[in-house]
Amino acid sequence: MSGPETLDSPLLTAEYRQAPGAYDEMCSPAGVLRPHWERYIASLSNLGGEELAHRWETARQRIRENGVSYNVYGDPLGMDRPWSLDAIPLLIPAEEWRRIEGGLIQRARLLNLILADLYGPQKLLRDGHIPPALVFANPAFWRACHGIKVPRDTYLHLLAVDLARSTDGQWWVLSDRTQAPSGAGYALENRIVLAETFPDLFRESQVLRLASFFRAFRETLLHLSPSRRENPRVVLLTPGPLNETYFEHSYLSRYLGFTLVQGSDLTVRDSRVFLKSLEGLKPVDVILRRMDDSYCDPLELRSDSYLGVAGLVEAVRAGNVAVANALGSGLSETSAFMPFLPGLSRRLLGEELALRSVATWWCGQPKALTYVRDNLNFLVIKPAFPSKGMEPVFGGQLPADQRDRLLAKMSAHPEDFAGQELLNISTAPVWAEDGLTPRHVVLRVYLAAAGDSWMVMPGGLARVSPTRDTPVVSMQRGGGSKDTWVLSSDPVDNFTLRPPTDHRVELNRGLTSDLPSRAAEHLFWLGRYVERSEHLSRVLRCILMRMTGEAPSPSQTSIPTATSPGWDSLMKLHEALDSPHSRMEKDDPQGHLDEVRDLEEEILSLIFEEGRGDSLNANLNRAARATAQVRDRLSSDLLRVASQFGSAARAQDSLAWGYVAPGDALAVLNRCILMLASLRGIEIGNITRGPGWHFLSIGRRIERSMRLVELFRAIIVPLNPDHWQELEMLLEVADSSITYRSRYFTALQAAPVLDLIMNDDSNPRSLAFQVNSLIGHCAGLSKMPSGTGWPAAQQRQLEGAAARLFGADVQALCDVGPGAPRLELDRLLADLETALPALSEAISNTYFSHAVMERVMERPMEGAP
Amino acid sequence: MMYRVRHETVYTYEDAVSVSHHLLRLTPRELKGQHCRESRILIQPVIAVTTTTHKDYFGNTVTSFTLPESHSRLSVDAISVLEVKTVEPPDFAASPAWEEVRDSVQSDHSLEGLDAYQFVFDSSRIVGSAALGEYALESFTRTRPLLDAVFDLTRRIHRDFRFDAKATEVTTPVETFFEKRRGVCQDFSHLQIACMRSLGLPARYVSGYLRTLPPPGRPRLVGADASHAWCAAWCPGSGWVDFDPTNNCIPSDGHITLAWGRDYSDVSPIQGVLLGGAKHTLEVRVDVLPLS
Repeated sequence: MSGPETLDSPLLTAEYRQAPGAYDEMCSPAGVLRPHWERYIASLSNLGGEELAHRWETARQRIRENGVSYNVYGDPLGMDRPWSLDAIPLLIPAEEWRRIEGGLIQRARLLNLILADLYGPQKLLRDGHIPPALVFANPAFWRACHGIKVPRDTYLHLLAVDLARSTDGQWWVLSDRTQAPSGAGYALENRIVLAETFPDLFRESQVLRLASFFRAFRETLLHLSPSRRENPRVVLLTPGPLNETYFEHSYLSRYLGFTLVQGSDLTVRDSRVFLKSLEGLKPVDVILRRMDDSYCDPLELRSDSYLGVAGLVEAVRAGNVAVANALGSGLSETSAFMPFLPGLSRRLLGEELALRSVATWWCGQPKALTYVRDNLNFLVIKPAFPSKGMEPVFGGQLPADQRDRLLAKMSAHPEDFAGQELLNISTAPVWAEDGLTPRHVVLRVYLAAAGDSWMVMPGGLARVSPTRDTPVVSMQRGGGSKDTWVLSSDPVDNFTLRPPTDHRVELNRGLTSDLPSRAAEHLFWLGRYVERSEHLSRVLRCILMRMTGEAPSPSQTSIPTATSPGWDSLMKLHEALDSPHSRMEKDDPQGHLDEVRDLEEEILSLIFEEGRGDSLNANLNRAARATAQVRDRLSSDLLRVASQFGSAARAQDSLAWGYVAPGDALAVLNRCILMLASLRGIEIGNITRGPGWHFLSIGRRIERSMRLVELFRAIIVPLNPDHWQELEMLLEVADSSITYRSRYFTALQAAPVLDLIMNDDSNPRSLAFQVNSLIGHCAGLSKMPSGTGWPAAQQRQLEGAAARLFGADVQALCDVGPGAPRLELDRLLADLETALPALSEAISNTYFSHAVMERVMERPMEGAP
Repeated sequence: MMYRVRHETVYTYEDAVSVSHHLLRLTPRELKGQHCRESRILIQPVIAVTTTTHKDYFGNTVTSFTLPESHSRLSVDAISVLEVKTVEPPDFAASPAWEEVRDSVQSDHSLEGLDAYQFVFDSSRIVGSAALGEYALESFTRTRPLLDAVFDLTRRIHRDFRFDAKATEVTTPVETFFEKRRGVCQDFSHLQIACMRSLGLPARYVSGYLRTLPPPGRPRLVGADASHAWCAAWCPGSGWVDFDPTNNCIPSDGHITLAWGRDYSDVSPIQGVLLGGAKHTLEVRVDVLPLS
């Protein structure tokens, strides 16, 4: 299709009902496509609605697999809510973008100069350009940060500005995000998804690329380093996985190549910041922080913060570390600055303000207060000082009593409030099932400091309202997002985030990796939880298959009942799990109990029951949480598999898990086993053999060794010769049935089974293999630079127990005469069972920073009479 | 008067503290009537401690340090030798009407005026209220000279509230003290400041020491003194004038000024963040020894 497109396009026949009075980004009021949409809509029509829907389904799948999420506080389903992205980008022509860009750069220069003055000489207060109350009454004016010299006088290294277009087509600034703006990473992920899903549309549209923006930002951060070291250490400081934009923190840290840290990973010594890595303390030069000013240092800022780094302000004051954005820069987020910006622009830049803010009245001025009171119905009332915690309200929507209360508060503390004009903001098309439909749109754009000026990201994060008639746009309240395409009139270069070729990086193949000890701990537990999950899946599958009559071997011919010969073996295998939360009935004096149903229910509970600590579901959830903590250290393929942890063993109706059909439960177990196997495959193939790998593997080996020892003690030690079914199941759980059959062709006997799954270190499922591998990883770790504290005694204890067990004659251990328990075997296994957790605990004590909370010391009371 | 002041603070931790970070405001200020001849701070344990000092936003000297190794006791011993002279307070009756001060401070953009104006607003520990304003208004009658009114408020607070070392804690909010009517100098000062700010008047918090006289015929007890707090009102032309609501007096050469700020949290003599040290006990000994 070619030529100008009209609304006759098949995609658009479903009515595109424009919102009354609002400017539409795609169509003129008469319903004619705006010129810069023509080419895109033509390509889209070529693609066809069906193909679009098909491709978009794949894209959404990808978003889920990539774990792109946005956490919503207080929403039961809100943690890791999948990111909502629309298939249709917001289009902006290059010419219009250049005008916006110029205005944005001017705004960044202006806000930066204002901050530099208020945290320095405060001339703007003395000459009356900013009302002093706007600074003194603002809790975001951090006196501890006043007078600190920041590198190049740059406060705003990354700045976000929310823009909206009014009825007349004019762009207005709604708000400025100046301390730790979020969303740039989502914008990048949106772009990657859209460009990959619609490569044809993307190419034909000549879209400006985002990569050079991130490269400039990265360079800026590297240049902030106060040290002259060749490779300055830059870290991204996150509040942690509970933060609403944690996905973005891990995503950006990987994309930019910076270590992701939490406050507890850093420490201040002698006014310098260090990373608590496995190899000891490593100096940190630059901190890109994703937390608000107040949380950054409990010593000098908000004392009830447990997220920050005690002593950080002092380290910044001493000039030993740079923080981006500079501490204190949240001050310029107040919308109450807006009415003063035109005058400030003339005073500080000698220029007219190019990009205007939406009309705003700060009630600290008597005339403005009167205006706001008189026009309350037509205004949004916002807190002048956002950190005081009040939510914006629409004056016109307030019930009478709340309105009176608001007016009373405004009289008592006028300086706390600002009134802002309600814009009828523009709409842009989003893809709905039946075609395109308009939604209100707010565009968040980003600037990065670059040299002496700022660079604008050519694009941004567009956010849309949940319905056409909701004027409020907010991710917290269920809106969606869009990619933004700035359309060039010329072909664009294909650039990705690659280091420039003239930059020579020092070769480094050592064991150092900046692995924070907190991350090591989570890797270790990830290893333990996935291994525990796999073991549990295999044991449960083994039991369940026999209960449904689908056993893999011909030895079982019918579904067992409580009286059939195999029944005791099933119960034995379940008992081997030694579950403290078992639901099985202990006493049944009347013999009323349906034992088969009882066991079945127990198995279903062990798979699905969320609140049961030892269920498969609970263990996979723990694995998911551990993964979340170390996202930045795992490959995207690995994360894709791990993204299924949370849902893999979840019953469709989480309360009605008892009604899941055994066949369906079996399918769940099979999927879990496959999922965990592919995880292992990716691990082996993709993870560099550094300290992180050692911790993950040690976690796995310790866990599996413990589970095997547990099984041997429960089943082989008391085994009767006629209970060969238990041996069969044991082989199955240890995934060694085929090997056994190919070796022995005979009936099952304890000694050859034990030889294969305990002593044979060529069998990757055997206990000997686990222990040898564990000792190998221990050797790897103990060689690391800080290996001085390596728990050698516990390692020797383990090696001794292993040597005694594997050195013994298996045949002799097993042949103890009919009916007698194998006590010698039990003793040797018990030794190993003691040595394993001892080693685990010793490693934990040596390497992991334990969750010791920082606390604020009690202060002395001034008590003289 | 010459004084030797010793201010000793000892924290004893039940569990060892592995790392701690501290800020001290224990160096007396230089003032018209106060000159510090000598001031030093001894910190124990002496484990690789380097202290740094800087001036905070209000001009107080802040000493910061980190204890990087495990310890179960921290002692901070501040010793100062200083000279304090009587500065004649201005004529209260000749001060401007309080309403005039309230209005003019908003538009006074001089360095001094701006510095005063910031003390009009709520701070983290002091939030003004209509009730407090009402209580204050009894003293602030129409066009009454500012300092007269402030002194009257000081007198009334001293009369209406009882000193009681056990009634409040270091974090007790102003409203609680206003209801219970019992507390210590920190509470008295926070209340007077809150009252004045509720009327739109600048008021600041001053921390320091008070010379105490032993009962007649008894020897002076060493270390029985305590750190003290009072408040100050800003009066155009005269500057900041101190008032002590706990003792109903105008501070003179018996008051030694350490630091000032918007409230206690701006000036606490010692603060810190600890890693470990679940429970701790705190002992403070202050000794104000007149030398002349």
